[in-house]
Amino acid sequence: MKLTRKNWISACGALAVLFLVASQAAAHKEKHTPEQLKVFEEVFLEQVRIGDLLFHGDAETEKTMGVQLSRTGMSCAMCHPFASDTHPHEFPKFQEQIGKFSTLRDMINWCIEKPNEGVKLDSDSDAMKALEAYIYWSNRGSKLEPGTH
Amino acid sequence: MISRRGDLVASAADDLKIGKREHMDKTDNRSERLAMQKELGAKGERPARSLGISRRIFLHKSVLAGVGGAAAAGWFPFLNTIEVAQAAQTSFRFAWISDTHMYPREVNTRFVEKTIRAFKEVQAMNPPADFLIIGGDIGQLGNPVELELGAELLKEVKTKKVYIPGEHDWYLDMGKAWEKMFGAPYWYFDHKGVRFIGLDTISHAKDFWTIKKMTPQERMGHMATLDGTVGGAWAAVGPEQLAWLDRTMSSWPKDKPVVIFSHNPLFDYYAPWNFWVRDWREVNEILKRHDNVTSVHGHVHQVLYHEIGKMRSIGMLATSWPWPYAPKGVPKLTKCMVRVDPGDYFDGVGWSALGMNSASKVDNEYVMWRKDIYATATADSGCGDNRNQVLHPRLADAETPPNTADASRARTTEK
Repeated sequence: MKLTRKNWISACGALAVLFLVASQAAAHKEKHTPEQLKVFEEVFLEQVRIGDLLFHGDAETEKTMGVQLSRTGMSCAMCHPFASDTHPHEFPKFQEQIGKFSTLRDMINWCIEKPNEGVKLDSDSDAMKALEAYIYWSNRGSKLEPGTH
Repeated sequence: MISRRGDLVASAADDLKIGKREHMDKTDNRSERLAMQKELGAKGERPARSLGISRRIFLHKSVLAGVGGAAAAGWFPFLNTIEVAQAAQTSFRFAWISDTHMYPREVNTRFVEKTIRAFKEVQAMNPPADFLIIGGDIGQLGNPVELELGAELLKEVKTKKVYIPGEHDWYLDMGKAWEKMFGAPYWYFDHKGVRFIGLDTISHAKDFWTIKKMTPQERMGHMATLDGTVGGAWAAVGPEQLAWLDRTMSSWPKDKPVVIFSHNPLFDYYAPWNFWVRDWREVNEILKRHDNVTSVHGHVHQVLYHEIGKMRSIGMLATSWPWPYAPKGVPKLTKCMVRVDPGDYFDGVGWSALGMNSASKVDNEYVMWRKDIYATATADSGCGDNRNQVLHPRLADAETPPNTADASRARTTEK
């Protein structure tokens, strides 16, 4: 086909339409509204709040969630104020106490079982996710350094 | 005899007997001294010879002298030789135990076990301690059962005992049980040329409980949470006690030694955990008039050393558990303790054997129940361990709703 000026303009127009459609398809969904973002954040912060309470030995929250994180009176926060020294940004890594490559959840369970003499959590349980949420939230801004001792 | 709230002038406690003086352990610590020399010494320095001191004492000297002090003196081993030569003639000794944090016996047997061990070791000191200071937080939740357990176990120690309170002892009944069992919360006495002062730095929390109609247990719970936000800046000496401290210091010669015991540090280390007293400036205004003041404090559960003007400040270990170093504010003169093994409940904890040497300076020996006290490598250091760590206060006990603006900002920054 001879590339006339008219054809050239039509081709460019078609390409532009195609690009517009394709880019919308890649965006997948509508732009997020501030209300949506607020909901996402609230869902997250509610888990942080629950994790904070568990981390600080709140008996009521433990009871509600059916978990026993300690039998010594010690809570996580008694060795880790502000979740310090938990180093979520250094996991996964070889964890000396466990003797193998471990995740933060593995270490949380080790602390529950060993120093705290509590009952370890299902690794995917709500309580574990909440504890993890709190620890990450409290350490936000720390530089990621996975694998560091 | 101890003066109560400054009403009585204390008589010297000279009736306390001192045991046979013995020279300190002359273990060969050459390799450790060489290691210390390598770490702290300036280029070309020769290590000191024939010091004949125990490793713990030697290492501690380096802390007391301070890295800055050592650098200023120009020749680190020489500085130590002088101090250690004097330390060998310790004129008398005393002991510090604090932060036993006992629950009722059956709840936490480990804390009881460690408390008993510390008490037995103090009783076995040779030369013996002239007195034992219990530096606060005998109990965990102010429960009289906890305090009574402490008092019962303390019968192991036959020497003279003096007490100052910690916040964990106090906020269930506002100190009633503690005062009944252990006496006045602040006092002084003079002993062999030294004025010993005990301060109450814990009873001055601003009333956060009445308006919220909290139970005594709820009040105690907030005060027992180191990183809680409800108790606020509760650590203080307070106006009344400051006036008393002023009078107590004024009646003592400016060049004679003073040792001040307090639960909290008398300087601003890390306010969010009350690793300070909020009126530390006023305290230091009073103390700085004197040439030889040593502050010995608990609460931090860690090796700590600082100097403010002429005052030296030494942090004590807990018998119960070690706190991590705060994310900021660790004094530069502190040589950090080892990174503690959480699987070993005797690690990072212990008590202190202190002495007054013939130069009227306080010697301190950390009696930590594991081999290493001070870190020699970053990977093993309680401070070095926390590199790249950014921490934030908790939200579950905060009065205001979660700080969403802060969370959003954090995300934006990280992009």
